Amino acid sequence: MTDFKALLRLLAENQVDFIIVGGAAATAHGSARLTFDLDIVYSRDSENIVRIVNALRPIQPYLRGAPPGLPFDWSTETVKKGLNFTLVTTLGPLDLLGEIAGGGSYQQLIGETIEVEVAGVECRCLNLERLIKVKRAAGRPKDLEVIAELEQILDESQQDLGKE
Amino acid sequence: MLPMKDAREKSGLDAVIEAYKKDVDVTLIRENLRLSVDQRFEQLMKLQEFAEDLRRAGRKARSQQ
Repeated sequence: MTDFKALLRLLAENQVDFIIVGGAAATAHGSARLTFDLDIVYSRDSENIVRIVNALRPIQPYLRGAPPGLPFDWSTETVKKGLNFTLVTTLGPLDLLGEIAGGGSYQQLIGETIEVEVAGVECRCLNLERLIKVKRAAGRPKDLEVIAELEQILDESQQDLGKE
Repeated sequence: MLPMKDAREKSGLDAVIEAYKKDVDVTLIRENLRLSVDQRFEQLMKLQEFAEDLRRAGRKARSQQ
């Protein structure tokens, strides 16, 4: 099981600059779909990379799907040299994304986020409109059902706002 | 303006999305929208646990066949 709340608390308490995206963002907006990993877009600035590396070290990040025993050095150098990392940790799968298709980088997305409170900490989450745009831009067949649900959530939310 | 091919793909995509929308359970969405974000994550984690229990049960049943 993925301990979403513990993962988010760990990142927030270590002052990591990140945005919740993907299925977890859909959950935050009210999706009823099951997702197994936490996807985040992280800021690529050097200080933030140091914070991410230090925050995740205790939960033993390792490349998901890599053969056991493959040397993997979890360090600032590794994160600086790479961009997107699909990791497994002791708290569950975590996708660290420097950029996302149809969305771009942390700096490009931060203006289109909302603040959400999870496990007693404040996190930034991609807003619903942008999440839909990102999913549409990715154009993956598996996302089409997700987009349908997210658009229904958007309609419901707007109807609720209209009632207030 | 979108190039012709992109426009065709977009309208095809929209048609599929609209078709899926008919099967979205709006009652589930309404229930979720009543919850806090924290409660939504709590529910997701319970759902994951349930899915894992089902997988385990399925594996056990297959191994006993």
